[in-house]
Order: sequence, then structure tokens, then C-alpha cells
Amino acid sequence: MPVRPKNRPARVGARGLLALIIAGGLVVIALWWHRTPGVHGLGGWLTGAGEILGLLCGYGVVVLVALMSRLPPLERGLGTDQLARWHAMGGRYVVSLVVAHALLIVWGYAVTAHASVVSESATLLTQYPDVMMATVAGFLLLGIGIVSMRAARRRVRYETWYFLHLYTYLAIALAFSHQLAVGASFVGNLAARFWWSAMYLTVLVLVLWYRVAVPLRSYRRHRFEVVGVKAEAPGVISVYIGGTGLDELDAEPGQFFRWRFLTRSLWWSSHPFSLSAAPGSDLLRITVKNLGDHSQALAQLQPGTRVFAEGPYGAFTPADSDRGVLLLAGGVGITPLRAIFATLPGHVTLIYRASSERDIVFRDELDAIAAARGATVHYLVGSRAEIGGDPLSPRVLRSLVPDLDQQDAYVCGPAGMTSAAVRALRAAGVPRQGIHFESFEF
Amino acid sequence: MRRVILAVTGTIAGLVALLSFKSHVPSVPVAATTGGSGGTSSSSSSSSGGQTTTVPGEFPQGSLAGKLPAGETAVDGKAANTAYGPVQIQLIEQNSKIVKVAVLVQPANTLHDIQIGAFAFPKLISETIAAQTAKIDAVSGASYTSAGYIQSLQSALDKRA
Repeated sequence: MPVRPKNRPARVGARGLLALIIAGGLVVIALWWHRTPGVHGLGGWLTGAGEILGLLCGYGVVVLVALMSRLPPLERGLGTDQLARWHAMGGRYVVSLVVAHALLIVWGYAVTAHASVVSESATLLTQYPDVMMATVAGFLLLGIGIVSMRAARRRVRYETWYFLHLYTYLAIALAFSHQLAVGASFVGNLAARFWWSAMYLTVLVLVLWYRVAVPLRSYRRHRFEVVGVKAEAPGVISVYIGGTGLDELDAEPGQFFRWRFLTRSLWWSSHPFSLSAAPGSDLLRITVKNLGDHSQALAQLQPGTRVFAEGPYGAFTPADSDRGVLLLAGGVGITPLRAIFATLPGHVTLIYRASSERDIVFRDELDAIAAARGATVHYLVGSRAEIGGDPLSPRVLRSLVPDLDQQDAYVCGPAGMTSAAVRALRAAGVPRQGIHFESFEF
Repeated sequence: MRRVILAVTGTIAGLVALLSFKSHVPSVPVAATTGGSGGTSSSSSSSSGGQTTTVPGEFPQGSLAGKLPAGETAVDGKAANTAYGPVQIQLIEQNSKIVKVAVLVQPANTLHDIQIGAFAFPKLISETIAAQTAKIDAVSGASYTSAGYIQSLQSALDKRA
């Protein structure tokens, strides 16, 4: 009988979670169905559609926050990067629904009341309870959605995106009261109001617990602080973080923490960085590539700086396997794979793609590990033009790892490299369930 | 892009399916007769979800019995339950002719209900006075309110006869 390792939380798979979210959505629609006597005329259709979308929005924001609540079964089951992708995708959908909800309700009410859209908007804003607040909330969500899409394209700084996202909590709070005060499914329906409020409260408690209480407790218990900073390659530094009782964290190679360095300029935003070495009982190491103001400031960190760390997070943790394991790193995506390479038992091969010789991080360490455990490291260095074609092609991969289709593959790198590598591995005959990847841009 | 198209069409298809099922539900009142059994005046019933308080709207609300000039009499209709709450009206007649209609009970759970009543009742009342029967058209956008109104009006006419 397989035994789950100590302290490893239960995992929720992608399919299970999706089924759960859809089931919740169906319950919400059933509430509308139960509370709506009938739909008549254009006004009825528009209003009905607006009501359904409104209910789905109210439910959707709860799901979006829950995905980001750092709930261990989700973090370990889907992994943070997949949760973030679901959150981004769902976020765009919900923001679109919010806009459609507002337009349909105004239009539908205007048709039913035989009023113009403009005067009906004024009526809704001034006379319906809490609709003004909800409108402010809608604009906030729309703004945050637009900024996030720009952030995804790297036109907005990480810090701006991070800070603006805090306003979603305000928006959700502002929008909540109009749901119960005006929502046709809730007026005079105490049970629906109760369960709806309970849903919001549950997610609030989850967020407060896993995003505030647990990290605070961990901060007090482990007393994280910077021990030293080391330059690894141009623009790449390692930060050593010490603390007490770190083995109690049960962190595994391949996982990451969200780090908040308590200096005057850095304390207010946290950043995710992978462990770049197997976690010790009193020392953790992260390795950071200079991608922005924040990572630049990390080079100036003084030993003794207190650190607030949330984690460990991430499902990028290879299980022992009878099959061989291929680790495929792109650029600074080497960090979690470096930790895995040093600790994963069995037959392991590392392929490390870097754009130039100078950009290779941990060369000495990797060679030493490879020699100690009898594993192989292949460095694929140079731009495509220098190498002559795409180095991550099925042909190249097969020539480096002849029994490739017998192996599990773990890929970590920038989003573009990761998806190219996954395609190449599939083409080279690695089954889908044998490919694990984490894209570190989130 | 494929996901976007899928999400948009899926959402629209779902909405249309849900709404078209619901649009086949007839708007007739669910059950007749609750509350105020009529008589000539007496205050109206406060049946479930009903609302007797006066709400903004250009039509007589609340019982007119007792405030009537000589020669006019008031007949209360029965409360007709609609999905949004009961509707009850009061008929004012002079020489067997309907001269006024007052609304005693109307759905007012939400501002939307009140808004619908505010434009529907004046139309229904003027139609009633013109037609002198309960065979009047429902007001579009207020099918439930209209059905309840017509049923309560019919019960008042029956009582008078």
C-alpha cells in the first residue's frame, strides 16, 4: 500500500478542481432557476441574462481568490504556475462577465421600465441600494484586468501589478452588498443569503489563514535572515538565508518560497524564487537573475536582514522513479533543477540551455554533482544562429538521451523555452504524463 | 484565441438555453385568492411578500373607501398571487360604471418590482376605465403584474355582479 510521506498535504488534481468549480457554477445557476418565475419579452431576456452573469461573477471572484489562497492541496496538486495560469484565464473571463452583467442589467431594466438607457443608468446608480459601490468595484476590476494583461506582456512592472492586485479585495468588498440587496435571487431568500455569505467568508478565512497567519507563524518560528550574497554569473546572484528549524518546513528540491526582504525599499512586495540547493536544517539558498529593480536591489542585501518567507510552494517535485529522469533547464530556470539534480536518486541527465557561456550558472557545482553521482550534464550554449537551428529539437534531444521515450522529463525555463521544449519532448515520444514543467514567470 | 471563441459562444449558448426554457413558463398567477376576501372596503391584506405601503408612482394606492364622494362605492378584488408577490386592486364605481381603480397590494420586494408597477398600473387602470371590463391587454414588460391585476379586477367585477 502506498504511504504518503509525512506532512505531505493531500493533492487536488486539475480535473478534480475543474469539476468542483463547474459544479459550484451549476449550483449558482440552479439558484437563479429556482428563484426566477419566468422570462418574458426583450426586457426579461436581457435582465435574466444580466442576473445569471451577475451571479456567475459573484461566484467567479470567489473562485479566483480561492485559487490564489495558497491552499496546500491546490499548491501541491496543481502547482503555483498552473494555478496562476488558471487565475489569469479565469480573471479575464470574470472581468468580461462583469462588464456584460452591467450592460445587460442597464439595458434590460431600461426596456422593462420603458426608460432610456441613460436615465435608467442614473436610476440604478442613485436609487438602487449599493449599486454605486458595485459600479466603482466593476471599474476597479476592469482596470486591474487591463493592467494584468499588460503585466503579462511585461509592459508594467511586477511591483505595480502586485500592488494593484491588492485593490481586488476592495472591489470584491464593494460589490458584495449589492448582490444581496438587489440580486433577485437573494431578496427575501434567507437561505441563499446565508450560503452565499458563508462562501465569501470561507474564502476570506482561507486567505487570512494561509496568506497571513501561517507565514507570520513561520516567521516567528524560523527567524529567517540573510546570511550572505554571492555573485554567480553576470546579473545572477545567490542569496543565502539562514534560520532555525528549517527542516520542519518539509521543503523539497524544486519548490520555492515567496520572499519579502525586510529592508526599507523591499519590504512591501514579495517575490517567488526557487530554492537552488537542497534545503538544509539551518540554511536555504535562492538564486536570482537580474530581471528588474527588485532583483538588482537584492545584490545590496546585508547579512542580518530579516526575511519574511511564505512557503514552501510548488508541485515541481519529482517523485522517485524507476524510469530515468531528464532535467531540462533554460537560463535561470536551472535554479530548481540544480536542487533536484543534486538530490534525486536514480539515473538522471541534465540538459542546460543557455544563450552564452557567460550565462551558465553553477557550472562548477553541476560538474561536481555530475561527477559525484555519475550523471551526465549537457550544455547547449549559444544563440540559434551560432548553433545552427533550434537546439531543443526532437532530433537533438534523442541524440543526447537515446532512451528518451523511457524517461520522465522535468522542464523549467522562460515561458517560450518551456513550451518549445514540451513540444519537442512530445514529438520525441515522451508521453504527456511523463512531462512536468514549471514556467517561472509569474 | 480558440479559448476566447469557446468561452464567448459557450456562455451565450448557455444563457440562451436557460432563458428560453424559462420563457415558456406562462405568466398566469400561480394561485388565486389569498388574503383580503373583499367586502366593500376594509384594509387590505398583508399577504406573503405583498406590500401595502405607498411607493412612488402616479396612480391611486391604498384604499379609497371612506374618502369617496357621495355616489361612488368601492369594491375590493381578491388578492391574486403572482410569482413576484400578490396583486390586489380596489374598484371604484359610480352608477355601475368603473371610474377609478386603486392598487391595494403590489409586488414591492425590489426597487425593480416597484419600477415595473409604476409604469404598468397607470396603463392597466386607464385601459380598465376605457374598456369597463377585465378583458384588457397585458402591459409588455410587466406580464406578471398585468396577469395579477386582471385576475384581481375580474374577482371584483364578479363580486359586483
